[in-house]
Amino acid sequence: MPLRPRKLLCLLPLLLGFCAASTQAVENGETAPAFTLPPLRSDDGNADISLADFRGKVVYVDFWASWCPPCLVSIPLLNELRNRLVEAGEPFEVLAINVDSDPELGIEFLLDEPVQYLALRDPAGTTPALYQVPGMPTSYLVDARGQVRLVHTGFKRSDIDKIELEVTKLLDEIE
Amino acid sequence: MMKHAARLFGLLFTVLCCANLAACTPVAAWERGNLARPEMAIVSDPLEGALDAHVYFSKEASSGGNSTAGGGCGCN
Repeated sequence: MPLRPRKLLCLLPLLLGFCAASTQAVENGETAPAFTLPPLRSDDGNADISLADFRGKVVYVDFWASWCPPCLVSIPLLNELRNRLVEAGEPFEVLAINVDSDPELGIEFLLDEPVQYLALRDPAGTTPALYQVPGMPTSYLVDARGQVRLVHTGFKRSDIDKIELEVTKLLDEIE
Repeated sequence: MMKHAARLFGLLFTVLCCANLAACTPVAAWERGNLARPEMAIVSDPLEGALDAHVYFSKEASSGGNSTAGGGCGCN
């Protein structure tokens, strides 16, 4: 028996479902999707850097762009936090993924605001698409086992205290 | 016969319209570099924009919902 048009209309939500994006944003408790990216600055060498290289450390993966004002607020604060923890011998690292379509814009910004953490480039936006980054900036705090433990979207100055608290908790888990 | 054809055409049209909704995907957060440029703002001067908004909500007794701050990068 052929389907009547009215019945066919019932299939429309299914069709719309196919039209919708099939990927989902990375959330707390999920394994951080793996990535391998080249460094943004030539000072960081030519070798590609993978998230897996930092297994055993707490990693703060930060998606940023030169056109995003809150990202620029976060950079010096993250650098200060990272340097303080690393100097204290804590297994912590920041991986800052620049998503500018022209990486030169990111490099230019870091010349004015130098950071000691690793800055990576992803002008094609493959990694933010993998994580389904909901806004800019978005950061993922990854524990020593590679699990995402905090997703932080947006940034204002006072957020650094909350981030430090979460980082400290994860560092305590290692010890 | 004609009625049946019209129904079929209507159904086909609806299905095609729905299929085209896939083209209405939002710009991803990390692809908003051009939207964030100052010249992309509806009002290029933030102070003028704030004054306009103030006058608007004073007169209309309503505020918000007209646009986002910062030229549409969605990062504020």
